[in-house]
Amino acid sequence: MTDFNQILGIETSCDETAAAVVVAAQTVRSSVVSSQIELHARYGGVVPEIASRAHVELLTPVVAQAIVEAGIENADVDAVAATYGPGLVGSLLVGVSAAKALALVWDVPFVGVNHLEAHLYASFLEEPTLELPLMVLLVSGGHTMLVNMKGHGDYEIIGSTLDDAAGEAYDKVARYLGLGYPGGPILDELSLQGDPTAIAFPRAMKNDGYDFSFSGLKTSVVNHVRKNPDVEAADVAASFQEAVADVLVTKARRAAREYGSKGICIGGGVAANSRLREAVLDACVADDLQAFLPSRSMCTDNAAMVAAAGWHRLHSDGPSRIDLGANPSLSL
Amino acid sequence: MLILGIESATAQVGCAVGGHEGVLASCHTSKGRRHAENLAPQIDFVRRQARIELEEISVVAIDLGPGLFTGLRVGIATAMAMAHALNVPMIGVSSLDLVAFPVRFTSRLIVAVLDARRGEVFSACYRHVPGGVQRITEPQVITPEDLAGELQATGEDVLLVGDGALRYADLFADLKGVDMADHGLAHPSASSLVQLAHAQALREEWVQPWELQPMYLRKPDAEINWIRRDS
Ligand SMILES: [Zn+2]
Repeated sequence: MTDFNQILGIETSCDETAAAVVVAAQTVRSSVVSSQIELHARYGGVVPEIASRAHVELLTPVVAQAIVEAGIENADVDAVAATYGPGLVGSLLVGVSAAKALALVWDVPFVGVNHLEAHLYASFLEEPTLELPLMVLLVSGGHTMLVNMKGHGDYEIIGSTLDDAAGEAYDKVARYLGLGYPGGPILDELSLQGDPTAIAFPRAMKNDGYDFSFSGLKTSVVNHVRKNPDVEAADVAASFQEAVADVLVTKARRAAREYGSKGICIGGGVAANSRLREAVLDACVADDLQAFLPSRSMCTDNAAMVAAAGWHRLHSDGPSRIDLGANPSLSL
Repeated sequence: MLILGIESATAQVGCAVGGHEGVLASCHTSKGRRHAENLAPQIDFVRRQARIELEEISVVAIDLGPGLFTGLRVGIATAMAMAHALNVPMIGVSSLDLVAFPVRFTSRLIVAVLDARRGEVFSACYRHVPGGVQRITEPQVITPEDLAGELQATGEDVLLVGDGALRYADLFADLKGVDMADHGLAHPSASSLVQLAHAQALREEWVQPWELQPMYLRKPDAEINWIRRDS
């Protein structure tokens, strides 16, 4: 296990251009994330072609910075890991192509990483002693799923969204309320001044299976504001956020009980949401479960988690082939 | 001085290695548009065929476009990463220059025409000069119908070259004084890229990887719609 210890990770699946150096999936030596939020803000969402162009421009400097900040030389990199799916195909291809080129020149292994698996490993990076099996709630702008993590590389998706991802619902509601982009953090901030019990928004399928549905909630927010034009935006934000957190945590908690999980952990951009973090913590205390809330920067897309997942893949399956392409609809 | 040339702006992807002694090895694939899958193995193959180590490369040359965005970026991302890892400079050449170069020995007006999809082509005009071609018009995006009109208006003998000329051959075939280069010359070649880059490298006309600017010629759709909305 002493081989391939120092891994350069690359992440370009959506709108963050990121590179990181991680040792043995444990020690983060550097983690550089260059966000494109400003480029996409006026469109109210990520524009794939704009994202791809920005990745090309940003990736070389970001990789160079990750290596400098890690205090290493190019020759010290033992392997290169890059996200090859799921995500935006044009964006993924930039990272995969660059990673393979670096691996060729440095004559080190290349390993393709599943972005969702990388999110699962974000928690282990910060808390290597996490016990398995673990119930992971993966919530972002692109995904909402409950994953039963039985072992390393051994996962089962027990529930996922039937329509919008949780983060998508956040963005749509924020846009409707005219809050700007990205919706999640702004809505989170605003909700601190509101009353979460002010409006009883629906909790779709709350006590029914492990799948999620958020499109009805979004419609209900729109209808409520239309009927009550004078309503406080902060109350809408807080009540909406309460409904989302309630559904997510109720299901995660029930799943943890049914699958005998040692704990609950969260990942993905929405896992940075303050109300969700609070609710997970409360639930775990009540049920005597381990709770793990990765730091906010480890919840959102980054390359340290890619390097960590790459290390595990490399040691379980070996390097990826050099003819690996991108797989935009890759699943866990 | 050894140059690695990478081109991926059209349906074809390829690479070549060469220098003072000309092109040592090259490889092209034009089936399936699997640029990302094919390019890295091609580079490894070409390097072995040329019997060199990648560390011996002193310049990475790249086809800057215009071309099909996704494929183009696979080549550019690969080339930038290679140059960065090798710590060598880069030379960018336009895809239109690359298709015009191999047909240079003609007194006709050379018009490079590459398929831009959505009923448009990328195009520029060239003349033969000692040692190569000289671009005499700026690269543009244009409908093949408008291009046919422009060609007719010049009244000159024209040689069309490129996959865009072949795709819209019906529009150009009946024009007076217009001839068309065949299939084997329709895509930019990595060998031409190495040749053209070599001349530039001798003059040290290169850039650093982070300075390289792809030639897209077309804005992203969202940006176009935004500008329309504003005006
Ligand atoms: Zn993500």
